Amino acid sequence: MGAKLLRRISFPAVTAYLLVGILIGPRLLNLIPVKIMDASDFVSNFVLGIIAFTLGANFRIEGIRAAGKPVIWISVLEAAFAWILVTLVMIAYHSLNNLPIHPAFVLGAAAAATAPAATVMVIREYRASGPVTEMLLKVVAIDDAWCLIFSALAITTANALRLGVFNSVVLLEAIFEICAALILGAVLGFALNLLSRFIMTVEEVLVIVIGFILLAVGLSMTLRLSPLLTNIAFGLVVANIVRNNELFFEKLRDIDMVFFLGFFVLVGANLEIHLLPKVGIMGVLYIIFRVFGKFIGVRLGSYISKAGENISKYLAWGLVPQAGVALGVALSAKALYPEYGDVIFTTITATTVIYELVGPIFAKYGLKKAGEI
Amino acid sequence: MNSLLSAGLILLLGFVGARLLKLVRLPSVTAFLIVGILIGPQLLNLVTVEIFAASEFFSNLVLGLIAFSLGENFRIDKLRQGMRQVMWISLSAALAAWLLVSTALIVYFISIKMPIYPAIVLGAAASATAPAATVLVIREYRASGILTELLLKVVAIDDAWCLIFAAMAIAVGNAMRADVFQLSIVFAGLGEIFGALVLGGVLGYLSSRLSKYVRTREELLVYTLGLLFLDVGLSIALEVSVLLSAMMMGLVMVNIARENYRFFEVLRSVDTPLYLAFFIMSGAHLDFAILYKMGLAGILYIVFRTIGKVYGAKLGARISNAPKSVEHWLGLSLAPQAGVALGIGLVAKVTFPDFGGYIFTIIAATSVIFELIGPLLTKYSLIKAGEILPSE
Repeated sequence: MGAKLLRRISFPAVTAYLLVGILIGPRLLNLIPVKIMDASDFVSNFVLGIIAFTLGANFRIEGIRAAGKPVIWISVLEAAFAWILVTLVMIAYHSLNNLPIHPAFVLGAAAAATAPAATVMVIREYRASGPVTEMLLKVVAIDDAWCLIFSALAITTANALRLGVFNSVVLLEAIFEICAALILGAVLGFALNLLSRFIMTVEEVLVIVIGFILLAVGLSMTLRLSPLLTNIAFGLVVANIVRNNELFFEKLRDIDMVFFLGFFVLVGANLEIHLLPKVGIMGVLYIIFRVFGKFIGVRLGSYISKAGENISKYLAWGLVPQAGVALGVALSAKALYPEYGDVIFTTITATTVIYELVGPIFAKYGLKKAGEI
Repeated sequence: MNSLLSAGLILLLGFVGARLLKLVRLPSVTAFLIVGILIGPQLLNLVTVEIFAASEFFSNLVLGLIAFSLGENFRIDKLRQGMRQVMWISLSAALAAWLLVSTALIVYFISIKMPIYPAIVLGAAASATAPAATVLVIREYRASGILTELLLKVVAIDDAWCLIFAAMAIAVGNAMRADVFQLSIVFAGLGEIFGALVLGGVLGYLSSRLSKYVRTREELLVYTLGLLFLDVGLSIALEVSVLLSAMMMGLVMVNIARENYRFFEVLRSVDTPLYLAFFIMSGAHLDFAILYKMGLAGILYIVFRTIGKVYGAKLGARISNAPKSVEHWLGLSLAPQAGVALGIGLVAKVTFPDFGGYIFTIIAATSVIFELIGPLLTKYSLIKAGEILPSE
């Protein structure tokens, strides 16, 4: 309802859900009983699992081959540059203010993500078409997966830093954790493949896929591995070995909006509004340097892969929106270290709202300049 | 063990269990219950406390979902001729179960010098059926035919009879115990029914009006689920029957606009995991220790409830000139008993400090039996009536 109403005044949906969440959350209307607030961990972990699993499907072997070098180069570099730039700036900011620097890594990793939904909406609305549009669609589809991989690295690093020691043992442990998560995901993918032979009706597909995602998230949490990486690996294996695997992803798409909506509303409800002024400068830095990183990354990526001038100049405008994945990274950071989690979480939520508001405008501007609208 | 892991195991083990037990031709409902018993606290203990705590929320939602989808069967334009049969059969099956169980238990209680009012309340509980199990058996085996259609309507409606009977029985029981007959209890029972019907009707009407703002299929799902939560939540808050208000909402919606079938359709495409989890949780809640405590009273309850259902339905079918297959087999297919009866047991437990606990124990114990055997009987009667294909 809230989304419908706000869309009337042309707000993007995610912002609408967040605002509704803030409105009915404990600080304002207080319409959410404690029980449901308690369930937010469960919901958000599950939703992150869904997101990561779906992103894993982007690494279908034939898909990657078909996408070609430019997509890979551009997506890796724009994500990496946003990550590195934001991380560096945040490290600088934190050390200037005599704060511990490890939240900087997580903030940077979250900056790598983009929001496919917002971008796709703009493209559809203005019926954009052309090489930039096509490349943009491929890049936004894949860069969230990079973002999740970066975040897993970043969270591991930050955790190691937090413990105060950073030696080869910690590093080895981190590498081990990453490998273990990938293996766990792959094993689950093979298990699903085995079980999928016994599926008889379409309805059961849903049971299996939800069951396995829950299992993947649950197991990785029990084993203290990254749920995000586990589910990416899981989705990757499913997309590459299971017959009719499109059906699994399709069935999941049918229902995921319910969970996403619940997720965003709960994110809104969990938001510590009073922290907003505190994160002011950080937020501004984050917003500026993330966009900056995206532009540099796209330039460099298109230069290396010889993607053409239009792409190099205008593609980055379409990468400004930020939404669910970044929020997801923030939430898992919040779960991992409560002391700084709130600041990270609030920064990313606040910047997401801003990006959501201005992002579509930028995307439209870029496509127009490229002559594709 | 965290809750996500536990929830994942619930779904996957349910699937595997249903596949395995299909080899011995057990219906999935029974398989889910058995898996639930296995992973429940008494055996493997794979269900976390958080999930147990959430199961009440969850089962209310699923019951609402079932009742809502049952409402779809009441299309006014198709209903004219069948409604007389539905009324007669549901009333006489419910009434016969009540009378027979009460009579048998009164005799037994007198012989062991116990007060007789628990017999009256237990009889009323015996009139309840379990829509969820029945619907799932029908769906799993793709049953279709006259018996199936009547059965779907009877299980939707007889909750109303059961609630009326239960209210009267509790009022009478109270009168016998405390020598005051509180008419207000009967009125509260009627209020529970009418309140539910009004609430469901209003929500159904409003939501049908507002549904023009729903554009995509994903939004439809969000909207429909939101509606169900709202209806179930309001029913609980207003203390009216969840099942009846959800059914009424479905009934109003299906009759108000042709295109409203999409609400039911979108739910059907996603409800399998919900039902699976629901029955596994029910299985995990089953308490076998209680079986030892039911004694002769429990056995009498089981025998006479079954007889009452079979012959009550037979009588109703004969009065309303229903086809032979209905006359012979509908009663047996009403065997499942679960949440509605347990609800009455809970009310009794609160109302009667002395024998309320005993009433609850009997209902809970017989529900264990009927939950496990009921789906088998439903399947058996549908096969006998020729409404399940032999290949299934």
